[in-house]
Amino acid sequence: MHKNEGKPGGPACSLCREPPVIYLREWDRHFCGVHFIADLEMRVADTIKTRGLIVPGDRIAVALSGGKDSTALLLLLHRLLLPGEGVRLVAITIDEGISGYREETMRSAEHLTRRLGIEHHCISFSALFGYPLDAFLSGREREACSICGILRKKALIVGAGQAGATKLATGHNLDDEAQSVLMNVLRGDLRRLVRNSGVDSSGKFIPRIKPLSLLSEKEIATYLMLRDAWSELPECPYTRYAMRREVRSMLSGFEYKHPGTMLHIIRSREKIEQSCKGSLIAEPMHSCRECGDPCSGDLCQVCLLRQTFTR
Amino acid sequence: MKLILSEKDVRILDHGPAPVEQILLEQGINPLEVIVSRNGKLVSEDTLIEPGDVVRVIRIAHGG
Repeated sequence: MHKNEGKPGGPACSLCREPPVIYLREWDRHFCGVHFIADLEMRVADTIKTRGLIVPGDRIAVALSGGKDSTALLLLLHRLLLPGEGVRLVAITIDEGISGYREETMRSAEHLTRRLGIEHHCISFSALFGYPLDAFLSGREREACSICGILRKKALIVGAGQAGATKLATGHNLDDEAQSVLMNVLRGDLRRLVRNSGVDSSGKFIPRIKPLSLLSEKEIATYLMLRDAWSELPECPYTRYAMRREVRSMLSGFEYKHPGTMLHIIRSREKIEQSCKGSLIAEPMHSCRECGDPCSGDLCQVCLLRQTFTR
Repeated sequence: MKLILSEKDVRILDHGPAPVEQILLEQGINPLEVIVSRNGKLVSEDTLIEPGDVVRVIRIAHGG
C-alpha cells in the first residue's frame, strides 16, 4: 500500500509534510531531507551512548577507506562528538595496493580529512608487508577477501597503535553485519559467529566499535547524498570472487520481501553469543612465535599467510 | 519518462504514472539496493513518477 499523504499525488514527511526523500518501512515513517538527517544523527548518537562506545578522553581511530560507509562514519563522528568532551579523532587509511581501484578512494579520503581538519595517517601493504595486495593474490584471487581482511585488520591495528588510539571505529553497517552472520553460518564457523571484536578481557587488542551497525546501506547512502558527500566510486575488482556478493543479493531480496530480516539476524547472533558466553569463545591467548602478536595458535594469521606466500 | 541507470544505460519508457517502486521492480531492480532522484531531487520509493519525469537510479551496493 502506498502512502499518498500531504501533497496530491505523493507521500509527505511524517513530521513536516514536505516531500520525503526516504520511507523507513520498519517504522512506517517518511522523512524529508532535514528530518532524515536529524533522525539518523540522533540514532547514531543514541547507539554510541547506550552501548558506551565512546567515552570522554577517547582517541578514536576511524578506519577510513574513502568509500561510503567510512566517509559517513567520519562525517557523523566529527559532527556528533563535541570538542568539550575531550574525544579526538584520527583517520587511518590503508592502501592495500589494488591497481586501478584504490587511487580514487584514497584521494576521496584525503580530501575529506583535509576538509574536516582531521589528522590522517596512511599505511600501505607494501610498506608494512613488503608487497601490495595484487601480488599476494596472484593465482589466489578466490581468497581475495579473506587474505585482504587478515592483512587490513593487522594494518589498521598498527595504524591505530601508531596514532595512539584507544579505540578503532569501523563503518560496518546493518547490511554488512547481517551478511557476516549469514556467511559464518554458511561456512559453519560458529566460533567466528559469536566472537565479539568489541569486547576483549585480555587487554591485548584495541577495542573496535561500529557506531553505524544499526543503519542500513540505503540510509547511509541517502545521508551522504543529503550531506553532499556522495561520490560514485569504482567497485573493488576482487568483489566478483566474493561469497559476500551472493549473500548480499540474497539477503537484500529477503529484506525487501520481509522487512526486518537483517535486524532479526543480528538479534539472533546476539542471543547465540549470550548463550555461548564463557564456553565456545574462551580460548587461551598465545604470542605469535614470529612477530609476538597475540593469537590463538602458534602463529598469527598474518605470519601464517606470509609462510604460504612465496615469491 | 527517462530512466537513467548509468551513463551508458539510459532508457526511455512509455509508461503511465507509477510509483518508483513499481518502475524499479519492472526493471528487475531491488528498491533497497538503490536510491532514486526524480528531476534532480531524491524521492522515496512510493513517490509517483509521471510521464516526462527524469528518473535517476543510483546503485549503492558496492563491494570494497
